[in-house]
Formats: sequence, C-alpha cells, structure tokens
Amino acid sequence: MQTITIHVNGKKVRGTIDERMLLIEFIRDVANLTGTHAGCWEARCGACAVELDGNTVKSCNVLAVQADGCSVFTVESLSQQRLKPVEHVTTQSLAGVYTPLQAIGSSAADLHPLQKAFHTCHALQCGFCTPGMLMVLKGFLAENPSPTREEVRMAIAGNICRCTGYQHIVDAAMMAAETLRAAGP
Amino acid sequence: MDVDYANKLVGQSVPRTEDLALLTGTARYIDDIRMPGMIYAKVLRSTHAHAHFKLDVSRARTMPGVLGVLTGAELVGKVKPWGDLMQDLLVGDHFAFAIDKVCYEGQEIAAVVAETKYQAMDALEAIDIEYDPLPVVLEADKAILPDAPLLHPNFNYEFGEGNIFDRYRVRIGDIERAEAEADLVVRQRFSSNRQAGAALDPHGCVASYDSFSGMLTLYSSTQSLFMVRDVLADSLQLARNRVRVVAPEVGAGFGSKAQVFAHEVIASIFSLQTGRPVHLVLSRAEVFRVGTARNGQIRHVEMFFKKDGKITGYRDYVIQNSGGSSYWGNQVVHIGTNVGMLPYPVPNIHIDGDIVHTNTAPGGALRGFGIPQINWAKEQLMDIAASELGLDPAHIRDINIVRGDQCPLVTPFGQKVDTTSIDSCLAKAVEVIGWHDKRANKRPYEGVGMSLGMKYTSCRHPSFDTDLSAIRLRLETDGTVTIFSSDVNHGQGHATFLAQIVSDVLGVGFEKIVLAPPDSSNAPFGLGTYASRAAAVLGTACRMAAERLREKIVAIAAHVLEVDAGDLEAGGDRIYVKGLSNTGLYLENLAGYSVYRTHQLPPGFEPTLEATATYDTPTDREAPDGSGNFSVTYAGGCHIAHVRVDPGTGHITILDYVMVHDTGTVINPLIVEGQHQGGFLMGLGMAFGEDYVYDSEGHLLTATFAEYKAPLATDVPELHHLFEIPAPSTTIPGGQKGAGESGTGPVCAALGNAVAHATGVRFTTLPITADRMLLALREKERSGLEIFRYPDDMPDYDGPRGYEDWPKPTGGEGEMFF
Ligand code: FES
Ligand code: FES
Repeated sequence: MQTITIHVNGKKVRGTIDERMLLIEFIRDVANLTGTHAGCWEARCGACAVELDGNTVKSCNVLAVQADGCSVFTVESLSQQRLKPVEHVTTQSLAGVYTPLQAIGSSAADLHPLQKAFHTCHALQCGFCTPGMLMVLKGFLAENPSPTREEVRMAIAGNICRCTGYQHIVDAAMMAAETLRAAGP
Repeated sequence: MDVDYANKLVGQSVPRTEDLALLTGTARYIDDIRMPGMIYAKVLRSTHAHAHFKLDVSRARTMPGVLGVLTGAELVGKVKPWGDLMQDLLVGDHFAFAIDKVCYEGQEIAAVVAETKYQAMDALEAIDIEYDPLPVVLEADKAILPDAPLLHPNFNYEFGEGNIFDRYRVRIGDIERAEAEADLVVRQRFSSNRQAGAALDPHGCVASYDSFSGMLTLYSSTQSLFMVRDVLADSLQLARNRVRVVAPEVGAGFGSKAQVFAHEVIASIFSLQTGRPVHLVLSRAEVFRVGTARNGQIRHVEMFFKKDGKITGYRDYVIQNSGGSSYWGNQVVHIGTNVGMLPYPVPNIHIDGDIVHTNTAPGGALRGFGIPQINWAKEQLMDIAASELGLDPAHIRDINIVRGDQCPLVTPFGQKVDTTSIDSCLAKAVEVIGWHDKRANKRPYEGVGMSLGMKYTSCRHPSFDTDLSAIRLRLETDGTVTIFSSDVNHGQGHATFLAQIVSDVLGVGFEKIVLAPPDSSNAPFGLGTYASRAAAVLGTACRMAAERLREKIVAIAAHVLEVDAGDLEAGGDRIYVKGLSNTGLYLENLAGYSVYRTHQLPPGFEPTLEATATYDTPTDREAPDGSGNFSVTYAGGCHIAHVRVDPGTGHITILDYVMVHDTGTVINPLIVEGQHQGGFLMGLGMAFGEDYVYDSEGHLLTATFAEYKAPLATDVPELHHLFEIPAPSTTIPGGQKGAGESGTGPVCAALGNAVAHATGVRFTTLPITADRMLLALREKERSGLEIFRYPDDMPDYDGPRGYEDWPKPTGGEGEMFF
C-alpha cells in the first residue's frame, strides 16, 4: 500500500492504495468520479481518456502511483453543475410560469461547446464512449482549431463507439470547433 | 389570443433529454454503482474449449478477504438450470457453472467473492484445477458428422440429436415443380462469420439481498428486466415478487444483453449467502467469450428463375453454429429466414435447417437477428442470376420486389406487408449513386453493388408466443408526467421519443415529462428492448396510455367547466374549450382535483390520474409449414456501395454508400438517422473485419479490441447519402416502423456485390479482409478464371466446391412439425 496525492479537476485527492491500482480506478473509486468509463481495460477503446498534466491519456493504461503529484481533468470538469438559483423559487408552480429544467439546476446552456454540439448533433446514443470522446476532442481542438473531417476521424481513431457509426460525432466536433473558434482565444 | 397547438413534436428532431447526464458524467452505469458494504465477485473461467475437469477450491477459501467460493457441483439440485428458448420446449441446458465438463472457452467453472477486487483476483489464482482435454469441434458442418465430438451427450432434444439441438423446416408451394420448370438455377454455398455485439459497457450486475424482507434486488446491465427476473427467480426458486430487477444506465446491448446470464445468477447466490451487495462486472475478454456472438451460418442456397428474371423458387439447407450453448439460437434461424426472404414474395420455398452446438462462444441475439446472414447469401445470388440472364441487378430486383401499390399484401411465406416503399427506395438509391453510369462506364478495380432488405418491427418468436410492451403514465400533482416502462433504454432515446408522444397527446410541455428508471417492482410487464420494437410497440402502448389518460383528464375538466367533453382541447399544459386556448384549466389543477379535491370530480370518477396500456401486436404464431407473419410491420431499405479495391494491398475503400430506408412515420428523425448510421457500422464490421477466430484447440484469438476489428472512425465512410421514404405503417396506429436494424441487414451483401463488380472476385465467406482480397486477386490471375469465388476456388480450400459435394439435410422428410 502506498499513499499518493493527485489533483483531480482542481481538487487535491489523497488515497492509500494497492500499488496495482490504475489511474482510472483512482479517479472512479478514490476521487469518486464515475464519469470516466472502462470499456476494455487494455488501452483500446478510449472510454477512459482523461487529461493528465496537459496530455490526453487513456487512464486504464497508467498506474495511479505514476500520477502521484500530477493534475488530472476528467469529463466532470467540462461543465459545472449549477445550483438552484433563488429567484426561481415560486410559491406556485403554475404551468408556463417556469420550465422545471431552469428552476431545478443545470441545463443545456451550461454545457461546454463540445458537449453542446454532441447534444445538438445527436452524437451519443448509449453515451458510454462519450466522456472519452469529449476529452480526446477537447485536447485535439485545442491544438487543431480548424480541423478537417478526416483529421477529426484520425483524432478519435483510438476511441471505439459501437452505437453511432461516428458520423454524428464528426459532425459535433466540426460544430464545436466552429463555436470555439468564434469564441476566440 | 388563440394559440395553435397543432404543431406536434412527433416528427421533429427534438434533442434528447437523456443526453445531459450522459454528457457530464453523472449518469450511472452498472460499474458506477456503489453500495455500503459492497463486495466483489470474480469468475474462474475455462481455459479449454472442451475438457473434463477436477477442482480444488480449498486454498481459495482461506485467502485473505475471501467471503465465499462457489462451484457447480455444490449447486446441483439446489439451483435450477434454465434453458434455450426452444420451440415448445425448454431444455435445461444452462447452469451457473460447468459441473465437471466445459464446452467452450470462458465457460464458468467457479467464482469467489471477497472484500476487494484484488483479493477476489488473488483468490481465483488459488483455485487448483486439472483439465482432461477432449477433442473439439469448431465448425457447424463438422459438428453434424457422425464421428464429431459430442458436446452435450446427456440432453434429449425434441427435434434433434447429437450436436444438432434443433431443426428448422419450411415447405411452401411446390419446389420440385419450380425446379423442373426453371429457366435458370443458381446455386452457391455461403458462410457467415461470428460477430460480437461488443457493447462498450461490459455486461455486469450488482446483486443485493435483504434476508428480512426476503427481497433480492439485481441491478443489471440488461435489455430486458422481466426476462431476467423470471428466469432468475425460477432458477433460485424465489417468488417472482421478491426479485426486483433494476437497470441502471445501459451502455448499449445490440441484442447481446437480451437474456439472463450466469454471472447474474452467481452474484445473486453470493448475495443470498452473505447478505451483502455483490458486484460482478465482466472484463472485455469475458464479454467476448461469453457475452454471446452472432450465430454463424452455412447456407446452401439454390434459386430458381424464369428467363425474364422472375424468381420462382428458393431452396436452402442452413447449418447454424450456435456455439457451446445458446439462448436464442434457433429463433435466429426461424425469424431471420422468414423475414430475410423479403422483399421477394417467393412462391415456392423449401428450407431445412440444422442448428448445432460447437465448442465456440455461445450464440445469441445480435442486431439483425439472422437477417444479415441470409441477406448475404440471397442478395449475392440475385446478382449471380442477373449476370447469368444478362439483366441489370437493379432490374432483376425491381421486377421481383413487393411494391408499395400492391400493399397490403400477404406473401406466400405468410408475411403481411401492410405498407412499403422499397420500390421507391431502390429507384432513389439507383439515382443517387449514379448506378447506370457506373455500371456502363466501369473503371478498373471500382464497382457498385446493391442489396435490398426488409426488417421486422417487433417479433412474435416461435417459442415465445407474445410480442407485448406496456406503459403506465401518471399525471403528477404539479402537472408533470411520469412514464413507467420496463423496456430498457440503452441508447434508443426512450425518454425523448416517449415524451414526444405523450406531449402531443396530452398537450403537456415536453420538458415536464420524465421517464422513470426501469425497475421491475413498479414498471408494467413488458418484454424489453430488442427486435426494433421500441418505437412501434412501446410507442403504441405509450400512445394508448396517453389517450386513456387524456380521456380521464378531459372528463374532469368537462365536469368542472360544465361543458361537453367533445368541446375540449388539450394544449399548452391545459384543457380548454376549442378556440379559447388561453383559458381553461391547467393540468396541474386537474391533477390536484384528482388527488387532493376529490369532491370536484365527476360522480363515480375513480380518483388519481394514472393510465396503463399494454400493446400486443397482431402477429401470427409460426405455422407447421414455417409460414406466418411474425412482425407487426416491415421496415426496409436499399443500400448501394461504390468501392475501390487496391490491387497491390487488397485494401477496399468505400467511395460512396447510399442508404434509402422506409421507417414509416419517424418520431425523431435525428434519432432514426443515428440508428441507421449505427446499424451500418455493425454491418460494416461484419463485412470487413469482425470475426471470432479460433486456433485448432478452440482458443479464441480475437478476445481483445486489439485483435477484434471493431470499425474505427477512420474505417467508416462519410454517410451523407442517407434518405427516408416513409410508407407509414397502417397496422401501427402512429405509423411507426422499427429503425434499429434495417441499417445492418443489407450491408454485407451490398459490399460483397460491389467487390465482385470491382474485381470479379465473389466472396462466399465473411469477413472480406484485405489479406483475403489480395490472395484472391493473385489466385484469380493465376487461375485465369473470370469469376473467382473466395474461398471456393482457392487451391487449399477443403470445403465443398460445388453442388455435388453439398451435404444433405439430416432431418429427412419424416415427422417433425407436420
Ligand atoms: S478502458 Fe481504457 S482504453 Fe478502454
Ligand atoms: S454512444 Fe454507445 S458506444 Fe458510443
């Protein structure tokens, strides 16, 4: 057993762990963030992709002890959950006064441009591959703000999706690239 | 001002409500479930494909953290076996563990449960096992030979013997006469590969038993709550109301999660024994080995034609490889063959099938359910016949298909085609790809190929005389609506498309509708999500329930407003007098009356606003001659591929791919587009790379995503040429047809035909890999054959090369179903 510290989404997380523990297990079981998924445990499917000290890695292929002292960002870092805004508290919930979605908390408006594009383009079906796709594309678009569709396909060639046929994922990546370019650096 | 609420949501690409949780990582899949006191189970699996074995688990029991060890021998007589869905007969050939003999690699031998995953893995290594290997049989046509090693010598099958566990037979019309009077007979043997669903979210479950209430709760990554519940309860001899099956978010299934699995039984037993929640999630390698694979088929097909290209008969002997055990295996042959014969209403059909066990991975349901296999054979034979008769492949299809203006139509095979646009789909695809130009001006190593397919929407299985789904709706006291269903969403967008239907019928805001998580303890009984049934069958139940609920709501409103119910309209979250949409009563108030102010209700009105509806499709049971209408309606489509083959590498590039589908009335076009694209991906994987490759001892060589060639984004062409020509179903009240599988069926044959057109190499086996392509091209050149069949014309091929060498059906003409 060994005690390590990893900064996960900006928070310091300490854990005393079995040396065999993988980074993905640290994220899921010690930091308790289960948005990072394991589809293969053998660095093939990409569902477990996270950002580790600025690089996109497959977290099933890294031992947690290797990431001791490092900084990790996961899918949960892309958009913050919004708390219920006080001004939306109403004494009666008559239809049309508010839409429940707004009153309760986060909405599509809070999403990262990539998440928003995935939502608009229907780039996810079962959603299991999605966190990995998002993290890989986030890193990719940061370096290639104006990619071609072919380049997007190359970028996600380490991520398997069994549901979508990839077409809508490429659509979403192109849409997000445009939004991000318009937002400018 | 009057608002027009006529704008309906059905038919619009509403972005999915389920997306937010999936996009942000808050959705909980099976491996994300954490429960207090949860312990971890792991399974010891056979490393041999066929062997007797002896076990000693005593060391494992004493390992640190170990709380329990299970083996098959100790469960005999305590846990009931369950079985294949056989015609009229359940054979108890499934069990939590092998007892003293394994029949395929990966079969469950023992399991341990421990405080941590690592302790469980360490304990597995402390199990001592000794194998005594037996000879293996890996191919279906070898398994039927008299000297083949026997997998299950102790089972008696009603319609089979030896490794043949079931048979299939179709006798429609007069095949001898069709043969005698034919101007052309084409014959070819085709075989198809095994393919995994390989849903990215591995199979798994968490079982949690409470001994005081006697409740066993099973969280499982499954497509069907009640199929799992009923089999599990039966196997463990528990009352069915004390077994609760809950599906968390399910990361896809494609049919591979539409049955009960040994791991679900094992985790449940461990929880019954320890009183603690037991986590058991499979690894990718385990999913490949036991998570079920597509049934491989060998089809010996003969088709009879008139000079003008009219099909007069179809004869086939199919030998199906259903692996070491199979839950759905024989159903695949029945349903796939029947529906797969469409879109041709062939008058004379004669089919025999032997459905066999081999020492390979269990055969299961997988997207297409037998249709891709028969389509691969039949649609290639159509091209072969066209070339023999000097006809264009588009023409020979066009003169044989069921046409929209002939519908409703009953085919000789019994299918009731209520509507179709398959003829228009063909015409459109031909136009978009530039078929005639590409055929007339063929370029070297480029070719175009087509395939037509129709696909069931729902299914009444021969051994499963039901095809129902149900919905319960509750108008909550704040005017929101909750939908309860046991048909598990695993990517199809149930929360969205059901809400579209409910919103339209009740006039309630889309965002106010929530789909409750699937839970057998509060959802109405339904069969589950498979067979492309969600939109049509579940959607119809949903529409019926919404209409019933609306009737109740309107009755209250009519009473309170003192108007005639017929004068009322629903929209904008209220019930109003026609033409006065900004007056009326809010659903919220009406729901309040129904629960909190029951004196406001019409006399005799039963309080609360709930409605349930179950829809069972008007489909047939299979008749003794094999005929019947098993599907409530038929989706369909035409696919055309334009490919280029690199003669230096054998690599095949898809230059263009056109898909034109009839999905009836589409509830959500973007979702349906996604279904077709995903369906295509699965067909592409089957055509070009996915396969279960075994060594001679039955070890699976493709049990990781490194060797198993699931298509990547770079393998898939741009799918811009995707069109819908809707022919709304007249049987389904909303007009929907199933979308899930029509993208898969035609892909292999379309690509096979395109490759043959490009190169003169006719693949009769799958997958068409670059290596095989290259070998075939070289051998074709060496042999000088104009049409070269792979592998039939390869020098080292040891299977039957021609009709004379084909095996004969083992069933004979004796009594079977007649
Ligand atoms: S789980 Fe890491 S790549 Fe598949
Ligand atoms: S959406 Fe299911 S794997 Fe990609």
